[in-house]
Amino acid sequence: MEEVPLIKSLEAKYANEAVILGISVDINIERVDRTVKEKGMTWPILADGKGFDGPIPKAYRIDGTPTLFVLDRGGRVFAKPGSAKQIEVSLQEALSRPAQP
Amino acid sequence: MNGRLIVRALSMLLFVLALAGLGYGRPALAQTAQPAASPAVADVRQIVTEARKEIESYTTAGGAAGAAGHPAIKWHAALWEVHERSPQSEAGAMAAAEAIRLLSRAGLWDRAHERVESLGFDDAAWERVPAAIYEEGVARKDLAYTVEKLSQAAASTTSAPIRAAALLVLGRAQRRLGDNTAATRTLEAARSAAPGTPSAAQAEGLIYEIAYLSIGLPAPAISGKPRNGRHVVDLAAFRGKPIVLVFWAST
Repeated sequence: MEEVPLIKSLEAKYANEAVILGISVDINIERVDRTVKEKGMTWPILADGKGFDGPIPKAYRIDGTPTLFVLDRGGRVFAKPGSAKQIEVSLQEALSRPAQP
Repeated sequence: MNGRLIVRALSMLLFVLALAGLGYGRPALAQTAQPAASPAVADVRQIVTEARKEIESYTTAGGAAGAAGHPAIKWHAALWEVHERSPQSEAGAMAAAEAIRLLSRAGLWDRAHERVESLGFDDAAWERVPAAIYEEGVARKDLAYTVEKLSQAAASTTSAPIRAAALLVLGRAQRRLGDNTAATRTLEAARSAAPGTPSAAQAEGLIYEIAYLSIGLPAPAISGKPRNGRHVVDLAAFRGKPIVLVFWAST
């Protein structure tokens, strides 16, 4: 995953303001654990070893990786960035919006 | 001495003629396709690959899009020949759609549309043409032609798979234009037009996406124990902070 450095820098920059959550679609859980360790991924990583057929990837209709979503303060879908580089723009926009009921 | 030179010159000439007979210097179609046998999908793929290669060097060398000397014109003609030789075969259908795609990617929209207009709505190529037309509409940031043509195809064809393919892409275009209500209606029609086909399955997926994953809708619930943490994470518990979800795989 070549976007790891970018996400790492986002995590450092927005640690108190935003949440980053990774969901792995790997089928091999040991491989996930290895990657997490090797790449130093410190944000929470969920994985069930069911690949694209796991309940979370299915609910989000994932058919390729990386696929990204930015949710607003109310947990609503805010943006679907096409690449890791586009995350920050959407994230800043989401941060600039006050929480809505 | 002179005699030897003549023999050499003659054999050279024969060699060149043999090469010409094999089709060197002509578009790949002449090399790969057997005149009697129906064209194969692999042949079409090869033509497309070679076409893209030549178009790329043309573009890299500063060749203009939309120009009359664009290599896409020559390659599209080679593909179109395959289509005309065998219009209802898979290879013929693919050739026609790829020919149209080459033209529209080259910015030769009028020529591309001419080809689209020349296809009957029951031509097997129409199963693949919707995607090519949509791609053009997205690139031009104008989906008017896409919507018009796909509506017409869906209404006119007698083939269920073509109707489903046209409706699927029409629904996608309507969604892109922000009309989720119309898109859902169209996609439902696509789903029931040809049950069990890939178009129907894709329509089903898009209907779900519009219903559950559109901008502004509550994101589907996520909770679980992270591989790298002790405590269960739950999306709902993060309310108040924006969240970035990264779906990924080890590579």
